[in-house]
Formats: sequence, C-alpha cells, structure tokens
Amino acid sequence: MSIHTKTAVDAIKRSPFQAISAIFVLSLTFFVATMVTILVYSSNKALSYFETRPQIISFLRDDASSEAVFSLETKLSKDIRIKDLKYVSKEEALEIYKKATSDNPLLAELVSPSIFPASLEFSVTDIKLAETIISEVKSEAIVEQVGFTANIGGEKSLSDVVARLKSASLYLRLGGIVFVSVLAITSFLVLLVIISMRMTTRKGEVEILSLIGATPSFVRSPIILEALIYSIVGVLIGWTFAIIFWLYASPSIISYFGQIPVIPKDPLTFFLLFFTILVIELVAGLIISLFGSLIAVGRSLKKIR
Amino acid sequence: MIKFSDVTKSFGSINALNKISFEVKSGEFVFLTGPSGSGKTTILKMILREILPDSGEVLFDGVNIVSLPDKEVPRLRQQMGIVFQDFKVLPERTVSENVEVALAVSNVDSDEWVTRVNHVLKLVGLDKRANLFPSQLSGGELQRVSLARALVVNPKLILADEPTGNLDWKTAEGIMELLEQINKEGKTIIMATHHEGIIKHAKHRIVKLDDGKIIK
Repeated sequence: MSIHTKTAVDAIKRSPFQAISAIFVLSLTFFVATMVTILVYSSNKALSYFETRPQIISFLRDDASSEAVFSLETKLSKDIRIKDLKYVSKEEALEIYKKATSDNPLLAELVSPSIFPASLEFSVTDIKLAETIISEVKSEAIVEQVGFTANIGGEKSLSDVVARLKSASLYLRLGGIVFVSVLAITSFLVLLVIISMRMTTRKGEVEILSLIGATPSFVRSPIILEALIYSIVGVLIGWTFAIIFWLYASPSIISYFGQIPVIPKDPLTFFLLFFTILVIELVAGLIISLFGSLIAVGRSLKKIR
Repeated sequence: MIKFSDVTKSFGSINALNKISFEVKSGEFVFLTGPSGSGKTTILKMILREILPDSGEVLFDGVNIVSLPDKEVPRLRQQMGIVFQDFKVLPERTVSENVEVALAVSNVDSDEWVTRVNHVLKLVGLDKRANLFPSQLSGGELQRVSLARALVVNPKLILADEPTGNLDWKTAEGIMELLEQINKEGKTIIMATHHEGIIKHAKHRIVKLDDGKIIK
C-alpha cells in the first residue's frame, strides 16, 4: 500500500462517521441517477416503439381479386415509407382470432374464416407519415377500411398517445435532470465540507510536510484519494442497489408492458446497459470528487501557507 | 554552502535582522546563539525559505534562494534536514513511518526505505522503538525521531532550531553527541541555541546575535 493510500485509509478509519455521511449521500445520488437513467431509457424505448411500430391494417374487400391484392402488395412494398409489409389471409385471420380467444374456445367454433376480411398489415418508418399513408391506402379501390392494432385506436388517438408519451418523456427527463443535479450538488458540497474538515485536522501535518519539502501534489494526493474512495464506493453502492431493484422488478415490468421493450429482455443487453451506466457514473463520481477535493484542498493550503 | 549578504528583515516596527552577513562552509558546524528575539530562528526560516528578507541575498550552494520560484522551494527543502525544538513529529504515525515520510517526500525509491530507515533508527538508537507511536516516547526519543527524519534523506545541510531546548541536560548531551557524529561524517550543521553549556562544551564556530545584528 502506498504512503498516500495508507494516509487516506487511516483518515477514513479515524473519522468513520464523516466517511459514512459522504458515502451515504453519494450512494443516494447515484442510486437515483441510475433509476432516472433507466426510466428515461424506458420512456425513450416506449416512445420509439410507438413512433416506429404503428401497425396499420388495411382490410380488403371480399370481392378483391388476387391480382388486385398482389398489385397493391407490390406497390406498398416498393414504398420506402412502409416497412414490415405482410398479407394476412382470411384463414390466417381466423387463426389469429383463435389464438386471441384461446381461453374461450367456444367463441372460435362459432365463426368461420369467411367472416374475417383478408388484410395487408404494415408499419410506417415515421409516425408523422401515418396519416398521409392511411389516406392514400384508403383511396385504393380494394381497401374497405384502415385501422391500427395494439389497442391504440384510431389514427387520431395514435397521435395523441405519441404526443402524451413525448411530453411524459420530456417531463421525466427534465425532472430527472433537476433531481439528479440537486443531489449531485449536495454530494459535491458534502464532499467539500468533509475534505475541508479533514484539511483543518491535518493542518499541523501539512505544515510539517511542507517544511520537510513536500510538494503541493504530495500534500493533496491522500486527500484526493480519500475523496475518490468515497466516490467509487458511493457509485458502486448506489448502482448495486439500483441493479438489484431492476433485476427484481424486470420480470413483472416485462410481462406488464408485453411487446413494448421498456427494458432489455435479454440478459446481455440488460447488463451491458447497466455496465454503461456504471462507467458513466464512475466518471461523474471521479469528476465530483476531484473538483470537490481540489477546491477544498486549494482553499485550505492557501490558509496554511 | 550558505552565505548571507546584508540581509535585513523587519516584522512591523521590529528589526529582526539588520544587515547581517556571514558564511557557513561545507562540513562546518556553526552555532547561532543569542537571547530570545535576537534573530536566530529568523535566519533558519530564511534558509528554509519560510520567510523572505526585505533586502539582501541568501545563497545556498551559490543559488540565491530569495529569488527562487515557489515551485522550486520543495526541492530546496529536500536538500536540507530540519530538527525542531518542539520535534514536529506526526502524532498518528509510528516512529518508522515518521522517518519514511521524509523519504516519500523526497521521492526516494520505496525499495530503499526499509534499509535506510533501519540504518538511521539504529544510528539514533531507536531501532527497538520503530513501531511505537510518538505518544509512547519521551522528549529525548521524540527529538531523535526528528533527527532521524532529518538524516534519512542524506541532506547536504542540517538545520537545528533549539534541538535541546525541551530536553534535560543528559538527554541534550546525547543529542549533541549524535549531531557531532553526523558532522564528523561530513554534514554541515547550523544549530540555533542559547544553551551556554552546550556551546562551551562543543567548541564550534559561534555566530552570536543580538537585536538582529551579529556581535561576534
């Protein structure tokens, strides 16, 4: 263990309550920061899901010839605004219905494929294009009706949903930034106070070190190291509690939101997301502790010299 | 090694040093003596560049330390060993750690620490007390820690500010014997003291000060 590390660890051992306060505040900050980051990520994912995956179903007339259907299918597949185009026949529509009513088989037995219209299902690359495309598709002779899937309702309510999600996401982001900033400032101030107190208690030691030829960086090193230890431990504790929470809650969240990928479903992406957050938080923690300790040490050294 | 030329220093209306000039050659043992407030400690503080003169020059190995940039001051101090009247040991570090600190400050390779610390602690007779804390030591032993810390970096010059001031005669004699031994090994020593017995006993060059002037 280097002399600076030993000095920093000894200082922490000598004043455990100061260390606990610093670590507690930093842990809380980074716990909230992780939670907010995941919530922002989820809202972005939900928004992107609704923006890029509005499934449009154009129900075809019963008397539409297969040539006319093929012709419309070819036309739509060439349209760059449209993606994931799929033809659903009457029989496939019945199968979908059967699957949807599997808990009550009697409902499926009462219907025949003839009552379900064939359809062309597709997504648009951008939600803003949806209304134009819908009106274009509606004007096709073989199209009887156009609608949306995923219980979103009509084309107007889809815009409403996206608009609501956008504003919710914006508020979440702004609220999160404000909340995390307040906590980060609090952490910074707590570190500043603790390091200043540490410098005051080390005043005699700093004077001796200075007289025997210690450079300012030699005097600063253990103090900065101590602040870095607080930050790293704080980040790790906050992040660990957050990941435990999300690991515990993710099965319920995934099942509640179904197809909407609010959090990654595969473990690799999930851990990659959390690892990225950890790296960013470690960098943020290092910045907070470096600034806090440098300011505190700088002020104290000025007074001592 | 050290040369003061027409150095003047005032603290408000008090003239601490009044155009003093003297020289200390390499390998010399010089006593700075005089009553309290005569300027002994001011001279030592100037050599350490803790304070600057109002006028005049202070040369260390030919370099005027008055005009030395602040960032060079640690390097200057690393070439000196200092022994204080009030010991100035680090209370929360053991004897050996107190000595190691000086090596760390001077960027000495940590592989050498154990050998050098053991050697110097043996020299001052504290090798069996290496793991004790300052609160467990007597005044004489604390002064030996201070001396060991000064010696371990193998300095060109040792400054001792009343190193026997807080010690009884017998312990003071022990410290003086150590300083004599160190001086015989070629180290330059400047020691501020008003202990007449020690000055007479040691028989080294004396720079006697009174009211900020050299009178002898």
